[in-house]
Amino acid sequence: MSLSSSLGNAGTPSLRTLPCRPVLLIAAALGMAGLVPLGLDPQGYTLRVLTLTLLFAAMAQSWNIVGGLANQISLGHAGFFGIGAYTSTILLRDLGVSPWLGMIAGMGLAGLAAAILSVPTFRLKGHYFALVTLAFGEVMRVIANSWSSVTGGPVGISVPFAPNSLWMFQYNTVRPYYYVSLIALVLVSVVFWRIKTGALGYRLRAIKENPDAAEVIGIDTYRAKLMAGLVSAVLTAALGTVYAQFSYFFDPDTIFGVASISVRMALIAIVGGVSLTFGPIVGAFFIIPLEEISNAALAGRAAGLSAFVYGALLIAIILVKPQGLLALFGDLYKRLRKESSR
Amino acid sequence: MSKSAEDQRSSSLVVSRRTILAGTGAALAMPFIARQGMAAAKDVNVGVVVPLSGANAQFGINSRNAIQLVADEINAAGGIKSLGGAKLNLIIADSTSTPTTAATVAQRMISQNSVVAVLGAFASSLTLAISEVTERRGIPLLTMSFSDVLTERGFKNVFQVVSKGSTLGRAQFDYSVALAKASGETIGKVAIMYEDTAYGTSQAEGLRQAAKAAGIAVVLDEAYPLGVTDATPLINKLRSSGAQLVFPVSYLNDSILIVRTMRQQGLDIPTIGGAAGYVIPDFRKALADLGDGVLSISPANYDQAPELTERFRKRFGYFMVHEAIEHAALTGVLASALENAKSTAPDALRAALLGATFDQGWASVMTGGSVRFDETGHNKNAYPVMVQWQKDELVTVYPPEAAKGKAQWSKRG
Repeated sequence: MSLSSSLGNAGTPSLRTLPCRPVLLIAAALGMAGLVPLGLDPQGYTLRVLTLTLLFAAMAQSWNIVGGLANQISLGHAGFFGIGAYTSTILLRDLGVSPWLGMIAGMGLAGLAAAILSVPTFRLKGHYFALVTLAFGEVMRVIANSWSSVTGGPVGISVPFAPNSLWMFQYNTVRPYYYVSLIALVLVSVVFWRIKTGALGYRLRAIKENPDAAEVIGIDTYRAKLMAGLVSAVLTAALGTVYAQFSYFFDPDTIFGVASISVRMALIAIVGGVSLTFGPIVGAFFIIPLEEISNAALAGRAAGLSAFVYGALLIAIILVKPQGLLALFGDLYKRLRKESSR
Repeated sequence: MSKSAEDQRSSSLVVSRRTILAGTGAALAMPFIARQGMAAAKDVNVGVVVPLSGANAQFGINSRNAIQLVADEINAAGGIKSLGGAKLNLIIADSTSTPTTAATVAQRMISQNSVVAVLGAFASSLTLAISEVTERRGIPLLTMSFSDVLTERGFKNVFQVVSKGSTLGRAQFDYSVALAKASGETIGKVAIMYEDTAYGTSQAEGLRQAAKAAGIAVVLDEAYPLGVTDATPLINKLRSSGAQLVFPVSYLNDSILIVRTMRQQGLDIPTIGGAAGYVIPDFRKALADLGDGVLSISPANYDQAPELTERFRKRFGYFMVHEAIEHAALTGVLASALENAKSTAPDALRAALLGATFDQGWASVMTGGSVRFDETGHNKNAYPVMVQWQKDELVTVYPPEAAKGKAQWSKRG
């Protein structure tokens, strides 16, 4: 089975309407993404926004495994994200462990947390699942705030300064972080796509359609959901380490934030097109720059105006096309083609 | 008929290749055009990153007002003379409540607006995040955030104009004990009540340590949920604890509720706030006479240099709150440093900031009457003051060398 045909089977309807084969398109996009930073100021603002966009796309993509494929709307992914960030940073601060090793430790801890969390939540659906995960994220925030001797408490924690070093995962310019984020996005997307088109993906889809019927035909629904949850949590934790190394400083309220992380991850995936491979990518490339542009253009004028404009645009999109931006683009493309063929 | 209607509808959606090309071209050219515009003007761009939305918006707006006031005055007086009368051009942006966004905003100002320095960002978490960007770009960051960490990481480009958080916490405790002693009361039992947020828990920890160091018993140590709707149980506990004075750590709404409930229940032990909600005009507006006699620690107060701070009141209609005072001082310091440096190069500016004592104009509005940064970037001339609500004004009552009025300790509000 060639890559392009399996992508076509993967159920991304908007891709099938595109003129050339998806694999070429992806290669072109990747090539472009690899070249873009060469033309930008390596310490500049544009590159920073692009890096954040790629990072949030990767985060939304890991959320998409649970929220999209398994249809379990998690609002507590900041919990895993923060575990990743704190684990690597604390190991680096206290023991001088390379963040790359810290990342692996964080992934392990997040996997453990996800396994424990799955016990009370595996029978929960819809709002109830969302509420329990929300509480999980909040519990993690409270722990980080009160366990000051280890986490640094509410004041936050700084990544110790180190000179340019691959081993210490620290760079003076934004450019290397851009490439790390790009690679992370590609890896997470490949994992997502493999799960989606593999056996686990079919099981998850069966559970999503009708959990009872799935049980009847012999699917171990707990196992399938647990697997999806574990993979998603572990990937999210790894991205937490990347985030920590990129921003050098974070505090419990940010890293475990409901609005700043948990909801944002879900929002990006949903706005782009939930359970689609390219959904989170499109969503991130829309939402993150939009936030930035509205802040840059409007914040100096009236307090809160940028947040207002940003919110209004989001509402408009959800109203016009609840299935997300990818579906909206698909519609637009069809209309354009109809127009040009006439 | 119907066909033409459809035609019209779809034609409105057509985006020609030419349009896309033109749009892309324009977008690509934007930074270059913007940069050219910047080069033509000889103004000095100064970045201002403060929260203009979210929970801290009012504090951000107060800060912005002060910076604007000082910049306008400097520009009206002929700008920076050693730079050929260059005007201070403020680039103001919303830091939001997210540290990452605040850092991104700072990076934008540095790379797109070529700011010579950044002022901000009120909340310590935002300032810490920004400092990671400014340090790597070598741009001075001038701040009034309290966090001890800011100037203790060996950074070369952070300038902190206020006393550190730990100093403020200790002063809040020690000044209170000293004030009690002056009125003939020996303090043996105190109470701490704090909101269960980052701010509340960290302030409470400082007070706890100060109590321990002074050998004074903390008879009530109670967290309460932010936005508490009924403070009665809390005040009942406070009453039965037998504390001689109470340190409530809270922002505006909770402080109003706590003080009101205390006064309604006839509990009149001295109440000593930790800045934040206790030293802003809204506190007085909400409580009126009930707030009389409430004390608070503050890193600065407007009665220390009324000839300057009254200009703020005249323009904006309320007294100059402490974050406004500190930001005004920073703006004044920056202008003097630019004047001395005769250059906008970051290295020259940093050297000018470190070398001198700033006691002219707005730089003299801080406690101590002048600003002098030590090698870590901390203003060693600053010290905290104890202020008290007396009628509609905040009066400095301690330490004696700064006091503008007598503390009403025995009156107990």
